[in-house]
Amino acid sequence: MPIHEVSLIRPENLQTHEQLVVDGVDVSGHWSTFIQSRAITDYNEAMQDEIAALPGGENVHRCWQCGSCTNSCTVNAINPDFNPRYWIYLIRLGMESEILRDKEIIWQCVSCNKCTYACPRDVVPEGVMKALSHWMELKGHVPKSPSMVFDEVFSEQVFARGKIEEGRVMQRFFKRTGQDLRQPWLIEMVKRMLRHLPVTMLTKLGLATFVAPSTSGWSRARAAIEEYVHEQEHNRRRALGLDGLIEAARRDAGPAAAGEGARS
Amino acid sequence: MTKPILIVGGGPAGLAAAHALARVGQSSVLVEKADRLGGAPILSGYAKLVPSGEWAKDAIGGMVDRVVKDPLVEVHTGAKVAGFSGSPGAFSVQVSDGRSIEVGAAILATGFTHFDSVNKPEWGFGTFPDVVTTTQVEQMISSGKGVRCPSDGRKPKRVAILLCVGSRDRQIGREWCSKICCTVSANMAMEIREELPDCHVYIYYMDIRTFGLYETKYYWKSQEEFKVKYIKARIAEVTSDGEKLVVKGEDTLVKRPITIPFDMVVHAIGMDPNVENATIASTFGVDLEKHGYIGRGNAYGNTAETSRPGVFVAGAATGPETIDDSIAQGHAAALAALGFLQPQRASA
Repeated sequence: MPIHEVSLIRPENLQTHEQLVVDGVDVSGHWSTFIQSRAITDYNEAMQDEIAALPGGENVHRCWQCGSCTNSCTVNAINPDFNPRYWIYLIRLGMESEILRDKEIIWQCVSCNKCTYACPRDVVPEGVMKALSHWMELKGHVPKSPSMVFDEVFSEQVFARGKIEEGRVMQRFFKRTGQDLRQPWLIEMVKRMLRHLPVTMLTKLGLATFVAPSTSGWSRARAAIEEYVHEQEHNRRRALGLDGLIEAARRDAGPAAAGEGARS
Repeated sequence: MTKPILIVGGGPAGLAAAHALARVGQSSVLVEKADRLGGAPILSGYAKLVPSGEWAKDAIGGMVDRVVKDPLVEVHTGAKVAGFSGSPGAFSVQVSDGRSIEVGAAILATGFTHFDSVNKPEWGFGTFPDVVTTTQVEQMISSGKGVRCPSDGRKPKRVAILLCVGSRDRQIGREWCSKICCTVSANMAMEIREELPDCHVYIYYMDIRTFGLYETKYYWKSQEEFKVKYIKARIAEVTSDGEKLVVKGEDTLVKRPITIPFDMVVHAIGMDPNVENATIASTFGVDLEKHGYIGRGNAYGNTAETSRPGVFVAGAATGPETIDDSIAQGHAAALAALGFLQPQRASA
């Protein structure tokens, strides 16, 4: 396969110098455009295990780069830069910086699962995409997506009470995503509800908003769920080395260790 | 009683041929140039064999034992065939130890020679002590000492295995695929990961040819159970920064150059034609095929034939070959030679 040299040159790696002297020789001029080296100088051997520790990423190490996932991909048909095969390869070798170049498109997977059925090695590329998106959020490379925030608000309420109260979900979701609750469409909806819903239902709704009832006998279920969720989160954070990072950051925050960050 | 059959070479193919002939009451004379029998698996100290996983010294050692103990096999080690004349059914053999033997037919099981990595100087063998060959790693494993960097005996943290060293390379006149190196390397990568779980193993490849049933047992297993990483890149050069080996090349799937440190680099060396093939060909009057291996006279009717009637060939003498196929070919050559010596059936 020929290497497309042009694609190796990226705008951010171009350095143009109007005035430049190298070893005493003046080489200023329009032609003095330099391309920074893009050599891979190391593999991050932890990355594959990190992705494998997240739900969906378990089989990432199986990939042999046939390209069936990318060939069958719904999103790739619209955006050729959306390339699951490539990202799986980068995960396996631990080329984080290269992956992060695509952080704005990785989350666009529509979970059609065509790749899941095309993959001869049962890598489950759709799951890997999910795990990779999750990884980017956990590592702080991308902000939490609104849908992730919604999931959190929703499940927090379910864990706490065994049921949700829509008004409260909305309220917290808007608050956490920094949106004003006084949305015109929401105000209009509430107005109409007040106008048309039966009084008994309105009373129930109103009460639920303030009292927040639980499913009966929920406390034991809640304890079990919370224990499980806590364990899962702990395992993921440990697999991704996040707890270690926090500890290192704490150490660095001490008076003696100020300065360079904790890079291992 | 017919005359004995000459077998040249005491590796898997020659041992199999001698044993097969003895089983049907045919005597043979086995001439081996090394001081002991067993061929490459024994002389080069291989560890566990593909695909059985048995230790070479047990598997091939067992073949040696039963041949040595067999009264129908006359073994000459430390000897070569210096002269070969006569006609089919009545050949005269001059052995280098001065003896002269009359035989009915001959089987060439003269094997191969490991590629000498010095012929690819850009990959650092002979320059940096921690650049080794698959044969050396086999010896590290079979000796029980384990995989260690030769420079200082430390356990490597990161190992690169370079495939196709001395194979598929027109630059050095080796156009063939050596057939077994992919599988051997995948197996070796798993052995390294088993002994040193903290050591990461990378295999740099152009194609992966773990043919047939080796696919799941070696290629898939090495990826799925042992997390061995495969990178499609032909390495440009192996240098050193004074501490570690530096592997340079291009990762073709990412379209980016690589300059990466390693503790140990392993050359998956190929199978050259036996360095003595020119002599062997002229001594026995057989043709070599274009790569320098002993040519087969017939692709289907009788695969053991050479260009000379009465002289047969088996194993890696004919081209890169696996141990189990070499053994099968040894059996085939034994049957071919035996049939050749039955005059009443020869024309049938």
